[in-house]
Amino acid sequence: MSIELKLSRASRIYHPSEPLEGKIIVKSSSSISHYGVRLTVNGSVNLQIRGGSAGIIESLYGVVKPISILNKSTEVRPSGKIGSGTTEIPFSMFLRQPGKDNLERCFETFHGANISAQYLVTVDIIRGYLHKTLSATVEFIVESDKADLLERPVSPEMVIFYITQDTQRHPLLLELKSGGFRVTGKMSTQCSLSDPITGELTVEASAVPIYSIDIHLLRVESILLGEKIVTETSLIQSTQIADGDVCHNMTLPIYIILPRLLTCPTILAGPFSIEFKVSVVISFQSQLYKLHPKSDPTTPTLWTAMESLPLELVRTR
Amino acid sequence: MEFRPRNYIAERQSHALPRLRAQNHPLSAPSSPLLSQVDVVDHGNNDFFDPLRRSDNNATVSKDDFQDHENISSETSTQLPTKEWMSFKRFLMQRFPVSKMVSISSISNVIVKGAKAYDKSSTSMHLEELEDPEKYAEEGVKVITRQEYVSRLHELKDEINRSWRANDRVTSLKLSIKVARLLMDTSILQFYPTLFVLAMDIMDMLGDMVWERIIWKAEFAEDGTRLCSLPDNFQASDICSDAKETCNNWFCKIGSIRELLPRIYLELALLPCWRFLVDKPEDCVQRLVMMTRGLADPLASAYCRLYMAHCAQKLPSHDIGYLVKCVNDIKILVMRIISAKETTQGNITNNRRLLVTLMEPTIEYIMKCIFKDASQRQVGNVLVELGLGMNQVELFGSFSCLSIVLHHLLKELPAEVVTSSAVEILHTIECSNDYSFDQCLNYRLLGFRLSERKSRRDIVHAVVDKVTQVMSERNSLDEYLKVVDAYVDIVLQNQMDNHLNTILGGISKRAYNKVVTEDELASLQSILVKLLTHFKVLEDVFALNHFLEILDIMYGSSRSIVNMHILNMATRDSSISDPTSIQLLFEISQALHDDGDFLNTKDDDNQPARLISRFVHMVDYGTEMERHLAFLVECRGAFSSLNELKETLVHSSNCLAIKALKDAKKHLSFVKSCIAFSEVTLPSISAWVKQLYLYLETAEVALLCGLVSHSDGLIDSAINCLLSLDLMDGSRTSIDIEGILSAIQKLCSHLVMVPGNSEQGVTYFPNNILSFVNSRSWMTPRMRTRVFCTILTLTATLSQNKLPYHADHGEIPGNDLLFFGDSSYLRELVSFAEYVLQNLVDTVQQEPSQAARGSMALEACNCIASSFMLSNEISQVCSKLIETARLCLSTSDKYLQSTITLLDINLPKPMVSPSITV
Amino acid sequence: MLVPGKIQHIICPGNLCIKEVHDYLKTLCPDLHITRGEYDEEMRYPETKTLTIGQFKLGLCHGHQVIPWGDLDSLAMLQRQLDVDILVTGHTHQFTAYKHEGGVVINPGSATGAYSSITYDVNPSFVLMDIDGLRVVVYVYELIDGEVKVDKIDFKKTTTASH
Repeated sequence: MSIELKLSRASRIYHPSEPLEGKIIVKSSSSISHYGVRLTVNGSVNLQIRGGSAGIIESLYGVVKPISILNKSTEVRPSGKIGSGTTEIPFSMFLRQPGKDNLERCFETFHGANISAQYLVTVDIIRGYLHKTLSATVEFIVESDKADLLERPVSPEMVIFYITQDTQRHPLLLELKSGGFRVTGKMSTQCSLSDPITGELTVEASAVPIYSIDIHLLRVESILLGEKIVTETSLIQSTQIADGDVCHNMTLPIYIILPRLLTCPTILAGPFSIEFKVSVVISFQSQLYKLHPKSDPTTPTLWTAMESLPLELVRTR
Repeated sequence: MEFRPRNYIAERQSHALPRLRAQNHPLSAPSSPLLSQVDVVDHGNNDFFDPLRRSDNNATVSKDDFQDHENISSETSTQLPTKEWMSFKRFLMQRFPVSKMVSISSISNVIVKGAKAYDKSSTSMHLEELEDPEKYAEEGVKVITRQEYVSRLHELKDEINRSWRANDRVTSLKLSIKVARLLMDTSILQFYPTLFVLAMDIMDMLGDMVWERIIWKAEFAEDGTRLCSLPDNFQASDICSDAKETCNNWFCKIGSIRELLPRIYLELALLPCWRFLVDKPEDCVQRLVMMTRGLADPLASAYCRLYMAHCAQKLPSHDIGYLVKCVNDIKILVMRIISAKETTQGNITNNRRLLVTLMEPTIEYIMKCIFKDASQRQVGNVLVELGLGMNQVELFGSFSCLSIVLHHLLKELPAEVVTSSAVEILHTIECSNDYSFDQCLNYRLLGFRLSERKSRRDIVHAVVDKVTQVMSERNSLDEYLKVVDAYVDIVLQNQMDNHLNTILGGISKRAYNKVVTEDELASLQSILVKLLTHFKVLEDVFALNHFLEILDIMYGSSRSIVNMHILNMATRDSSISDPTSIQLLFEISQALHDDGDFLNTKDDDNQPARLISRFVHMVDYGTEMERHLAFLVECRGAFSSLNELKETLVHSSNCLAIKALKDAKKHLSFVKSCIAFSEVTLPSISAWVKQLYLYLETAEVALLCGLVSHSDGLIDSAINCLLSLDLMDGSRTSIDIEGILSAIQKLCSHLVMVPGNSEQGVTYFPNNILSFVNSRSWMTPRMRTRVFCTILTLTATLSQNKLPYHADHGEIPGNDLLFFGDSSYLRELVSFAEYVLQNLVDTVQQEPSQAARGSMALEACNCIASSFMLSNEISQVCSKLIETARLCLSTSDKYLQSTITLLDINLPKPMVSPSITV
Repeated sequence: MLVPGKIQHIICPGNLCIKEVHDYLKTLCPDLHITRGEYDEEMRYPETKTLTIGQFKLGLCHGHQVIPWGDLDSLAMLQRQLDVDILVTGHTHQFTAYKHEGGVVINPGSATGAYSSITYDVNPSFVLMDIDGLRVVVYVYELIDGEVKVDKIDFKKTTTASH
């Protein structure tokens, strides 16, 4: 005896105004009598504060009560019998009642380090107290309604940056400090989730050969905890754009595809906020590197230079 | 028993077909209506498909049947570049063979670790990608054999394939990324091309699998029903969102690879899939070109561009601009290598030259792609973009270019551009002298490219002037030869005689007092062969300044090859009569003969030996016949090891004797010298049958010259030769039975004109033959029958009052004159003939094979019927033989019928008709 | 004079001696029929050969095996044995063409004019044969005193007398 939920879309992406569609597939060698087949959709924002981050007291560690953003249930089939063999029960269920704006704000699915917005659909076949309820759950992904999206286009403007020994706030190797380096570039700071982050970068000068240039994509998650706001920045993805001591004065493209689920539109909600930023990290060739092979890529070191830029992610039509 | 009398002259006259003067004949008119054109139909089978030549690209990827079927169109469209790519890959592997051991640095741990390492299923790829690949650095360098490395890669390929078919595509992708990551390791330079090829196979395989999967998603619903059929030139809008979604996921996954190099490689592998998402996938190529600039390692970076050029060919349309960018970027890398200071980056400074050599194929291949079907306008653009031209009109300004890039550019440029801009190109070559590529080889290449088609005279002259001037300043023989070799054809075709002189002088000056190296020999050979091919007359070549001098500095097989060309050329015409040429060719033949390696090749087609024989054969001293004979004597001494030549020598001296004979005055002593020369030379000919024939030939010549006793002696030698056949070791099977038989037949025909010797008896020679035949146990009845028939016919001929022919126009008296009316002579012949006849009749019956016995009986019957008068005795013999034949053969046998007809005419009717009614 | 592709068959009784001659003839016409002369280095040529062209059956033999050389009776014997309409032989290096009860015997002579076993006085000659149905025209090209004389011989195949 098995039960399975199959959504109509392979991508499992639905918009709030659309019905969630699919079918319940029951396979059984004998017929089953039940007290109804019930479908439940549940959306919630889970917040948690992990230890280890600077400035957070041990006692604050723990799980904050999840915020429910959607909870609906419907009976797709009244009590009765399901015959033996494979039975398919189709379903269709609106996430948001048309006309009724009961979901004032759409949170898109997001899986972060401390914050996650998740939508689940569950089917239950209730079979009375003698038998175990049969159930199955799948996650579906919610993306903002196209209709709700702002017409405004993503700003094509790029932020120009330049990185030299003097823009660094952390100590550098002596030969870097004295010899100097200059890396310039530009990058978009507002970006549609469906487009890559674009920009370019040029190494103009460097006294010490370059080892690698990486673009780190970071998320900044903040949670309101009592009166305190706990903020944690963590790395989502690291993308190398230069491997080795590249030729100077050659323009290198920045092209970063935003990872699904791990990014969402920048949100500044009451109890929490999700923001993003990118940082350009230049590593120089150094013997020291080998001594600290496992250092956190986001932490500045003697042989790295970096520049962080805010990044606003938006959902566009 | 009586011989049948013959009147040869009357018979010939009565049977001769009438000859009329022909006014029109097939060769009189330019095209003859009588001879129709022969259609030669070549039955070459075009359908033949060599399985070994098939690209194995598809063989490793097994697909579901229907998918396979659906993809035929897309596969055929990429067939051509695939073939090229296959051969290029082979070339790469062969060009850079790898030492047995490969040290594997940290990055390649996928190779060293067992398969377990990548079994852990990680849900989030990107997190794993954060793993620092350097973390194994401390473990030190591992060493495995090249073979292990290669087989590990093959295993990986299999694993990727297997995972894919098990629907575990994530694992396939992850393994592919690991393979791509191997290409980050350029620490073993020479291994890189091999590694590249192996990894590319895997990348291509993955690319194909993803492509097919998305095609399938676009054409079929999940339950397998067909939704649509995509045309070859589909648009992104033709693709359903589900397929697009899948495709997008692939690019997202690839986009999350941290390291630049594997990320680029995987996107390239999947490059054709961009067609599902966008209508202009070419734009992605532009971006990838730029991204590749982030790879600082010159080798990795160059090969990455090579793969890009390969992958971009799979797109339906692509501009060549990106390829030019690639070349320019590689150019910058090479220039960086060349100008690198001897500081850090041991990788670069230690093996700079090797590095450039390893990068060369990438430039070569990309250049090929650029010019594959570039239009004239595009060629102009390319040159401008490569920094070689001011604008479309002024191609090749005074710019220098990296010589390795220039080389491959020159190699691929359309011939018309080369010929029209040759002077400018030459100038660019002159300006471009860096050590990425030997400048001389560029001068050389220009020469070869120029010779491809006819160029304007002034351009050719300007170029050759300049090149000879530039080369005159170089002292190295090797460089000089390499460049000059390329221009020889042009110089010859344009009759630039002074340049030819300069070139040959230049070679001789540089080769003076120097041991010529192997490379130089090869160039010399090429140059001399070109000269020989160009000139029609050998004397003209010999007359060239320094030619013989240059020939003299050569040695070994190159020398022999040139010598063979010379001999070949010399023997092309009908005769060689110039004494200087003969002397030169004799020396050349000697040099060829002395090159042991060449003559020792004991194959059937011993070309040098043949050529020397041909040469000796063709020598003609005209009226200086003594000189000619002396030459033959000289040859016999010089080429003692050439068996074949001895036959030529005998032929030649015999011809010489006849020639002397034809000369009005009789040079009897000279003729004797010739015959003596032949006689002395003959015994050393090892092939018995050939020796036998040459004895006969010499005997004929001696007889024609009136030297009867010489002739007798030679016939004796021939018969002795026949007798000694037996002495040969047991290899009787190798005896040429047919050859021996026809030699005996020829000997007998010759005996017709040999004056009989009454002391020895007129049947002395036939008797010898008879006893030879009867004493040899290996003589088959069939062969004996033939010999008996031969002797019988000979005897009958000798009995005639007038012989059919006489030696030397009757000046040597034949037996008809010597024994005219001599009854004892006739008696001797008759009794001998009776003895032979008996032998013949008996032998026929000894033949075990029925069919053979039948035809032998007919042969004997024919022979007897035409030799003897129709006596009762003869008629009985004939009837008996016919009876034998009738028993053995079918009555419809044509030979039987025609023999019966013959007897019908010759024999009285009552005797034969009862037995022949059919 | 002899252009490749003009001739349908080449019939050569032998003594080409060296491979080069064979190769040359092959360029004139790929359908080459050769029998073995006593000086042929190529051992694979047969002693005799027959072929059929149109209505005619042709026989080929070098002729040094015939006793005495060029003898009409002996050639007739060979012709009966091979069962051919036209017998082509050589060796004597003298052009002859005979007709007897059994058919026609042709000796085209020697194209090079080399001396023969019987004589050193040889006029170079060769023959072109035009076979058309039952009719044959033989063109004889003979070099006599530096001049090419062309003669024509015309004959028809008589339907073989049957007994």
